[in-house]
Amino acid sequence: MENKNQYWRGLEELNNDPKFLAGKKREFAEGIPLEDVFTEEDGGLNSNRRDFLKYFGFGISAVALAACNKTPIKNAIPYIIKPENITPGTPNWYASTCNACAANCSILVKTREGRPIKIEGNAESPVFKGATCGMGQASLLGLYDNERLRKPKAKGNDVSWETLDAEIKTALAGSKNIRLISGTVNSPSTKKAIAEFTAKYPSTQHIQYEANSMGALAEATKRAFGKAVVPGYRFDKANVIVSFGADFLGTWISPVEYTKQWTVNRRPENKNMSRHIQLESYLSLSGSNADVRYPIKPSAEGAYIISLYNRIASLAGAPQLGTMPAVELPLDGITTMAKELWAAKGQSLVVCGSNNIDHQLLVHAINNMLGNIGNTVDLNNYSNQHYSDDAAFETFAKELESGVVDAVIFYNTNPVYSYYNGAKLAASIKKAKVSIASNTNLDETSENCQYNAPDHHFLEAWNDNEPKAGYFTFTQPSISNVFQTRQMQESLLNWAGNTSNYYDYLKNNWASRLSGETWVKAIHDGFYIQPVAASNTSFNADLNAAVSPAYSVYTTAKTKLELKLYSKIGVRDGSNGHNPWLQELPDPISKVCWDNYACIGNATAKELNIKDGDLININLKGSKIEAVPVLVQPGQPNNVIALAIGYGRTSGGKAGKNVGKNAYPASSFMNSFSFINTDITIEKADGEYELAHTQTHHTIEGRNLIKETSLNEYNKDNKSDNQDTHKVIKEQGNLITLWDERDHKGHRWAMAVDMNKCTGCGSCVVSCNAENNVPVVGRKEVLVSREMHWIRIDRYYRFSNATDNKITKEDDYNKENSGINFENVSVTFQPMLCQQCGHAPCETVCPVIATVHSSEGLNHMAYNRCVGTRYCANNCPYKVRRFNWFKYRANDQFDFNFNNDLGRMVINPDVTVRSRGVMEKCSFCVQRIQAGKLMAKMENRIVKDGDIKTACQQSCPADAIIFGDINDEKSEVRKYFENDRSFFLLEEYNVQPSVTYLTKVRNVGEKLVNT
Amino acid sequence: MSYESPIRDQLVTGGKTYHDVSSDITRPLENAPTKSWWFGFSISSIVLAIWIGTTTYTMLVGIGAWGLNKTVGWAFDITNFVFWIGIGHAGTLISAVLLLFRQKWRMSINRSAEAMTIFAVVCAASFILSHMGRPWVAYWPIPLPNAFGTLWVNFNSPLVWDVFAISTYFTVSLIFWYCGLIPDIATVRDRAKTKMRKFWYGFFAMGWTGSTRTWHRYEVISLILAGISTPLVLSVHSIVSMDFATSLVPGWHTTIFPPYFVAGAIFSGFGMVLTLLVVAREVMGYKNYITTEHLDAMAKIVMVTGTMVGLAYITEFFVAAYSGMEYEQYAFFNRAFGPYWWAYWTMMSCNLLAPQVFWSRWARTTPWFLFIMSIIVNIGMWFERFVIIVTSLHRDFLPSSWTMYTPTLIEVSILIGSFGLFFFLFFLFIKFLPSINMAEIKSIMHVGSDDDHTHHTEHHDKPVTEKGAVHGV
Repeated sequence: MENKNQYWRGLEELNNDPKFLAGKKREFAEGIPLEDVFTEEDGGLNSNRRDFLKYFGFGISAVALAACNKTPIKNAIPYIIKPENITPGTPNWYASTCNACAANCSILVKTREGRPIKIEGNAESPVFKGATCGMGQASLLGLYDNERLRKPKAKGNDVSWETLDAEIKTALAGSKNIRLISGTVNSPSTKKAIAEFTAKYPSTQHIQYEANSMGALAEATKRAFGKAVVPGYRFDKANVIVSFGADFLGTWISPVEYTKQWTVNRRPENKNMSRHIQLESYLSLSGSNADVRYPIKPSAEGAYIISLYNRIASLAGAPQLGTMPAVELPLDGITTMAKELWAAKGQSLVVCGSNNIDHQLLVHAINNMLGNIGNTVDLNNYSNQHYSDDAAFETFAKELESGVVDAVIFYNTNPVYSYYNGAKLAASIKKAKVSIASNTNLDETSENCQYNAPDHHFLEAWNDNEPKAGYFTFTQPSISNVFQTRQMQESLLNWAGNTSNYYDYLKNNWASRLSGETWVKAIHDGFYIQPVAASNTSFNADLNAAVSPAYSVYTTAKTKLELKLYSKIGVRDGSNGHNPWLQELPDPISKVCWDNYACIGNATAKELNIKDGDLININLKGSKIEAVPVLVQPGQPNNVIALAIGYGRTSGGKAGKNVGKNAYPASSFMNSFSFINTDITIEKADGEYELAHTQTHHTIEGRNLIKETSLNEYNKDNKSDNQDTHKVIKEQGNLITLWDERDHKGHRWAMAVDMNKCTGCGSCVVSCNAENNVPVVGRKEVLVSREMHWIRIDRYYRFSNATDNKITKEDDYNKENSGINFENVSVTFQPMLCQQCGHAPCETVCPVIATVHSSEGLNHMAYNRCVGTRYCANNCPYKVRRFNWFKYRANDQFDFNFNNDLGRMVINPDVTVRSRGVMEKCSFCVQRIQAGKLMAKMENRIVKDGDIKTACQQSCPADAIIFGDINDEKSEVRKYFENDRSFFLLEEYNVQPSVTYLTKVRNVGEKLVNT
Repeated sequence: MSYESPIRDQLVTGGKTYHDVSSDITRPLENAPTKSWWFGFSISSIVLAIWIGTTTYTMLVGIGAWGLNKTVGWAFDITNFVFWIGIGHAGTLISAVLLLFRQKWRMSINRSAEAMTIFAVVCAASFILSHMGRPWVAYWPIPLPNAFGTLWVNFNSPLVWDVFAISTYFTVSLIFWYCGLIPDIATVRDRAKTKMRKFWYGFFAMGWTGSTRTWHRYEVISLILAGISTPLVLSVHSIVSMDFATSLVPGWHTTIFPPYFVAGAIFSGFGMVLTLLVVAREVMGYKNYITTEHLDAMAKIVMVTGTMVGLAYITEFFVAAYSGMEYEQYAFFNRAFGPYWWAYWTMMSCNLLAPQVFWSRWARTTPWFLFIMSIIVNIGMWFERFVIIVTSLHRDFLPSSWTMYTPTLIEVSILIGSFGLFFFLFFLFIKFLPSINMAEIKSIMHVGSDDDHTHHTEHHDKPVTEKGAVHGV
């Protein structure tokens, strides 16, 4: 029964009083205004249990997540006030000059958010033409060297510059006989600053000293032509090149410039190529690229030069030198050489790498007879690179020892390490009342000096250089000072009482020639050319004095063991020995990194009963180099041991410390510094040592992986040795695929590698390291084949005996009676990088699609997706994939540049730093492709050929790497793909590589193709 | 003349009664562990600790702790993986294929063989996990719906096929094994005297009553699972072989791989079963259940499969020579005469030559000799995978990348440690679960009938051979 009784709370309710009704809505007097807070859109106040649970759950998990979060917070602080010209994400480029060696190439420095991240060659420079060498590329890392001197030091203590200046000024004021020892100084403003310093302290003598001296060449030029300069060589004008041990493609004077020149005449498409003949005492980069190479003993060089002189003299009808019998090379090498040179009169070039005044004088005489002076040997546009006054330095060393020198200043040079008697020099420095060093690191010399006035890295400095007469290249800072360093020029001026900063000083020095707009333009361009007035030079020297010493050393040393000191491509004279990029750059020939070693020929090794991995002691007169690892090196002349200088540093930086053995003590002074030692014995030392090779098998095992032909054969048939190209296979229908052909619309990126131009110098490798943040892994990891380089240069040897000139199988050349003379070897370089296959074997096997094909023909790698099964690397026929075995950054096990905050400044922000456990590989510099496309898009145009250059291509001094869009019919790379020399590696597997290689053509008489 | 096939020997000897069977087989479960069990268990625990230590180290530091390099991306890891997967195959073959073929002799060994399968797959799976560069994302090759966007797995990749093959294999093997265990767990439950035992065995017995209906279902599910398992015997190792066969590495890219791998798997699996059973029958006192006739049968299988594998080795060489492919030819030449020749000849002598001794009945029925042989077979099969993986990879197309592979101590420890994991699980199994299928064993016993064959002669006119076979009826 329903209760029909109704009760009212009052008459107001009964009467439906509006006031009451309004109040009735709210049971309680004053509610919380939730309706105002929760709008209808939020679901209003109609929340139910589910919502409660949702929010509750969310809250709990959010709190839990927040509590779990241990990710370190790293703040990227934006610019509060945007600096002028810096847009985050956009690189700025500054023209500058490379100071990694005294070749002083013009460069461009790429900076991002105010820090330099890459060095490129300055393509507008008429001398250097836009390439760099490996050392130049790596010098960038020196800027971020955590071990650089950070502050001035006086007697081991950090002091302020003011204190240092005051102390030094007082000390210098009381000094007589001040010596300023520097590296090559070819900077006019620096010279002026030095002059100002000398004016203030008149007892100052300035001596230029280079570890790997070219002093003899300048001295010989002085004797022959009256100018103490290194001539300007023009390999581009030479049709016949004879080099006596000058590694002009690798380490000699100005290798980038010379490589650019040399490649000009190495195009078989011109039906003609230069003929390059090399006589040398170790297998150098130039020797490995020569058409004809004669291994000779260093002591025989003089005799061969004289014989060549005499042969040419008889062709020229000039008088013979000396009365000694002619020395001949196998197969009448000298006679043939003389004929070829004579036939190319005025277009030939003879160079000599020895730091021997007599030899250089004779070579000048030969060039003079051949009419090369003024053509291929330019004495007007001479070179100021690598100048060294050996005799002056030798005198200085004696003076210092005797205690005559009161004050010594070392600027950008490290003679305690590189002088043959460095230990004595170190002791002598202590005898000077004042010793000052201005180097970037605390090296062997600096640590023996009382005062350290640390110099800027060149990327922080202002300067001008004149590497070639009339060619001035400017250095401008691309970063503000990292540490409290000061340019040495400024220090010298300061000590001389001139407090001007060096920029003003430099600008004033140029004011008469460059000011206002022209000055800005010169700095912008990075170089300035002031034509040199031509002057006539004539050869005028007595050669007879050179003859008998050359013959006597030849006859006395004939069967003796000799030591040849050479410099390696990466570390060179050792001044950059603490640079991990250079230490990990494999030697182009031996493929060894992180070491030097005694190269010994096969026959000599057998005779001495030593093998790879043995250790030997090299006994010098009065000292010895102990426990040098042995490398049995094909191409090494018998009875000659070649050992690289630049190793065995004892300070300067941990990457170079105690790496290899110091070979400088084996050098000597004989009118100039000599890097040949004919007075050695060796003995086997205890123990074994494994060298870190990046390539452990050295021949192609008869496989069809490289193609080479001779110029004659090529001229008869452009497809010589390359008949079985992709096209032919395809026409025969032998290529079957399970996959759909890809749609190649739009861009299709591709690369051509001209094996005929590639010299194997390794510049691309270092360039790639810098561009793509490739980690350094160290010797131990290289020993277990775990180097991370994205591009490598495969080097293959080919041997020959009386019947066969294509012996490449291990079983064949290791045979007892193979009949092979291992002194002769033919070398081929093959840069190897990801081939960006159209049907990539890596892509099909990845379980998680971490490596995928792009619509532009690239094979991408998605690091974030990679789970690290390594299946892709196993299935890659080119073995170009690299796995992150460890965490290579912020890991004390890999104490290189990625292990400190400063070193990590070099990281390219456009490229991911890979984590542990993921695969990586060459991306064709996809970040550059994207940047190029973006640029074109912003300019509302299509991408032009040449807009995009990969890092390896950009730094290549030989222009051997060409990158572009194969779908662009006018592109350079398309032309290379259509070249008859073009072939693809392992094309029969139908993986459709995007990289084509071009047959190597040698300018030799012998037949290289089996028909 | 009619022919009556010889009456086989009793599969269970020693005149056991049903009660004897139950008490014999549950003895290790119901009594304190023996000294020998403790000994074995302790050793395997120590070895397991090594495995845990070294695997953890690898995962913390990176794969760099191993000897792999730019050229050899797989070595011990995948060798061990394939090795363990192969071991598992005998279990499935015995339980499924022999069930379908009504081979009753399998009954006393199938339980432990199946357990072996499961533990071997666990070991194998551990290598899948630990070989990954980033094991914390090991679930990515599984096609799970995810929040990463449109990311999916690559169904073209044999590694994804592996994921399916192995997870299916593990699941089916586990279910098959567990279903077979239910009646026996119920027996243990029924015999249990403590509350804990009653509860746990009761829980896992899933209310087994032993009624005809449950037995019927048991038979049906066994057949169904056997039917599912049988193709797995062939498919799992075929798919594992495709990790290699579908690649283009010379020495891997071979169509013979699937059958060859299956034969090898059965070969190695029976090797492992022999290793385990020769020891188990001695230690556990199961000689009357696992008789020399069982050993004989298994030895025959080992010989047959070993010879099949050997044939495959020789066939590969022929095909390489016949193909005219220089890379292929070199790969095989390099296997036999390259720097890893010793691995190749170890494999050849262990897998092809050694099993030929089983032509002799003595060799097949002498337990200590079989034990040695079984170890040789296992070594040989481990080397087979090592030879295939390492010698093919270390010298492939470009000689510039040729290099050598040397294992580190960590890798060797992980390999040894995986045996610790295996035996740790196996010792737990024989302690806590009946390691012989009591229910099935009882079905093949002749309890009540006379066990002595000589009595049968009374019913036959014809002479009876020594072994009880009757001829000429």
